[in-house]
Formats: sequence, C-alpha cells, structure tokens
Amino acid sequence: MTVKWILHWTPTPGSVVNSQILSEISQCVESFVNAVKDGRWKATLTFYRPNLRDQSIPSEFPRDFLGISLLEQPNKYYFIIRGNKIILEADSTILTIMEKLQSYKSKVALNFEGVQYKMGDFQMKVVKVVPNQGESLRGILIEIEYLPISSIEKAKPIMEEFLEVWREVMSKKSLPGHFTQTEPHFADYKLPDNYTSQHTAIQYAAALAQLIQSAQLRG
Amino acid sequence: MIHPGFHCHKSEAHKSPKKKSEAQSHLTPAGAGPLCRHRAAAVCLFPAPCVSSRRPSSLPLSLPSCVSRDLISSQLSHLAFLVRVISTTTPPSPCTLSLCCPVASEVRLLCDLEQAEPSWTVRHIGGAMRGAGAEQISVLVRTMVESKASKNVLRMFYLLGYKLDHELLRVGFSFHFSRGAQITVTVSSINKMLKLHATDEAVPVTPGIQLVEVTAPATAETYAEVASAVSFFCEYLAPLLHLSKPGISTGVVPTAAAAAASLMSDGGGTTL
Repeated sequence: MTVKWILHWTPTPGSVVNSQILSEISQCVESFVNAVKDGRWKATLTFYRPNLRDQSIPSEFPRDFLGISLLEQPNKYYFIIRGNKIILEADSTILTIMEKLQSYKSKVALNFEGVQYKMGDFQMKVVKVVPNQGESLRGILIEIEYLPISSIEKAKPIMEEFLEVWREVMSKKSLPGHFTQTEPHFADYKLPDNYTSQHTAIQYAAALAQLIQSAQLRG
Repeated sequence: MIHPGFHCHKSEAHKSPKKKSEAQSHLTPAGAGPLCRHRAAAVCLFPAPCVSSRRPSSLPLSLPSCVSRDLISSQLSHLAFLVRVISTTTPPSPCTLSLCCPVASEVRLLCDLEQAEPSWTVRHIGGAMRGAGAEQISVLVRTMVESKASKNVLRMFYLLGYKLDHELLRVGFSFHFSRGAQITVTVSSINKMLKLHATDEAVPVTPGIQLVEVTAPATAETYAEVASAVSFFCEYLAPLLHLSKPGISTGVVPTAAAAAASLMSDGGGTTL
C-alpha cells in the first residue's frame, strides 16, 4: 500500500469551518496540472463507551476507544485506543461480536466523506467531516497519497516537497486558516515502515482528535 | 450463523475449501486428503468486575449446554468443564462498575500455532437454543461468530477490561466430511499450561484420552436439516463411538488412532 499523509484544516482564530472554505479548497486541488476527479470516498469513525451500570462513576475502562471502517478495506474494521497506542485490525465480523458482547456501545459516529483526485504519481482527497446523522460540517481534511512508494521514510522528502507546492497554491486563495499535519507516531503503535491501512486509520483518528481539540479551544 | 456444534478447529485442510476454513491455516496442501493436524491455543475471557474475579455464583460451571454431540466419558467430565466453561455472563452483582453483558455467552481468542506466523481469531459462541424445538433435536445448536484479528488482540481485550478466564492448548487432527452437511470431526488432546502462555510446557488434562467433537455450520433456515445430518453421521460412528446430547456420559473413548482409522474408512473396513 502506498504512503498517505492526512492533514486537517485549522481555522484562524475567530473564523469557522464552512462549506465555502471547502469549496475553495476543492478548487485549489482542481487547479493542479493534470488533476482529474476520480470518484467519492468514505470512512466512518465511531467512538465507543463502556456499558457501565452507572455511567456517572469514573472507571478504569478506556474512554478513547474508537473504531474505523475504510472504504478501501470493506471486510476489515480497525479498533484504536489512542491513550494506549494500540490498533487492532480485524474482520468486519468483529462488530457483530462486539454487539453480542454488549460491553461497549456506540456513542458518536462521524463520517469522512471525500472526493478523490488523481494527478500523476499523486492522489488527493478533499474530505469533509460530518456527523453520521446530520449534515453540519465539523471539519475539513486533505489526504495526499504518493503512489510509487510504500516506505514511509523514503516517501517523506517527496511528500514534503509536494506539500510545499500545495501550500503555495493555497496561499493564493488567502483563506482564513491553514492545513496542519498531526504527527501520527506510528512507531508508538509498533507499526512497520511499510504503509498499511492501519497507518491510515491511525492518521484519521489523530486528525479527528486534533479537530476536536481545536474546536474545544475555539469554543 | 447457527452451529449445531461447537469448537470448529483451526488448521483444517479439506477437499472443497470453504470460506471459513480458507481463513484458517492449512498444514497439508489441498488435495492431500481430509486429515489435517492442528495445534492451537485457546484463551477464554470474561469481562472484569471491578471488585472480584470470582465467577458468578449463579453460573453452573459444569454445564453441558455449550457442547455439541460429543464423546464424553466419566473421565472426560472434568475436561468438559475446563474446555467449555461459560466465561461471560452478568449475574446480579453488587458492583456498580462492572461491565454489562446480559447474554450468557463465551468469547475465545484462538491462536493457530501450526503456522510460521501464529494467526489469531476471535470467536463468540452464544447461548444454546432453547425451547420445545431444541429439546426435540438430538444435537446442541448455538450461534457462533468468528473474526480474524491482528496479533495484539489479547492485549486489546485486556485494555478493554476483559480478564483471562483460562487457556488451553489443543493438539490433534481434523476431518471433514460432506454427508448432508459439511461435518467436521476433531480428535484432540486438551492440554493445560502450567505457566501463562507456556505452550511448550503444556500437560494433558486427561492423559491418553482425546476429545472428539462433531460440528457443522448451519443457518437459521437450515439448522434442522443440518442437525439431522449430524445425528445420522453420529449413528454412522456408532460402532466406534457412542455420541449423545451433551450432559449424558456415554461409552468409552477409544484411542485417537483407532478413531482416525475408523473415520478414514468407508464403514466397511476399507481405507479411503
């Protein structure tokens, strides 16, 4: 699998995320030479809470337990406990097992809905973050993928170069914000240098955590 | 999926691979016959009450409800207890912080040790089918769901609050038959590990005695037909084994070699 970087939109203080900014970002991508729209993409992230008899009493069970499904891996599901830096990849039937066990219940689900663009050796997705049951825009992400390489370390200088070009394109729009990459700390999760869907799941979880933190600070 | 049986084994190779078995490791290449070795560790978990690790007092530990038609002798009753203990349930508990698992069920983590890289499966086995219909059929029907998982699955379950109930090492053979249903017969020795996860230091729970299990997958629509096929197959084994619904001790267990030889023959003494 080829290397992806996921960046989240950080609005400048006093500004908000809205569909106008999403549209401007999409236009930036489309302005790239050879950029071709290549279909839609979706992922879902679900926060789980322990099924306790008394929810008001704090417990030793993890509160940052979440699950992710990715469109490109329809038969897989990924569980992450961010505080413990652990990711589990399982068949999607693990959801049936968790439902039967009833020890954890779904608390909140968010959808990542993206439009994919192909541009030579790169692919980009412009992703909006929306609630599973709703349309309000909670955040914007972009995903940059470099197709020829699957080594994270080897792809790093090339991705940084692309990112510089991207930032230059974005600067011409003078939008109230910028894209930030959250360091995913793959080594903490004991993941190898070869990129996999587990790396993607961790990045989306990290990006969302940053979006939530930024929203809380602004709020 | 409803299984008239239980304990579908790892490391199975068979003539007509089906999806579940293909997900499991194979020792022998396809076409080499239905006989396949397996060596797998099973870890049974239960959710951790905040205060105590005692098993709920309302839980009968030697219950038969989780087995299919099995060869059980009085010597194996202790083994049956070890292998089939229900490990997740929610009795009334004074602890307000315990996880709620209202349905009696069993969650197991299976590690296939025969492969170069051990592979893990999470298996959930539901409560037995009950009611007049269940009493009339001669096999046990339980739901079973499996999911392959990455190797850190045990650590994940610990972090989610689950505790290790017990672990066992099963070593033996699996046979596959297509006789009205896809029937799997496993002949295993069940071994306990004297130290945690020490598979090299396992000792048999019942030396010289193997556990024989007959299982077959089914759906809600086909379970009656599959149950009938399993019953009929068990009758076919009658000259060698006496099988009955769990809880009834029947017959004496022959050696695994004799059982394997009988299963490989066509019933008339001819080796297939």
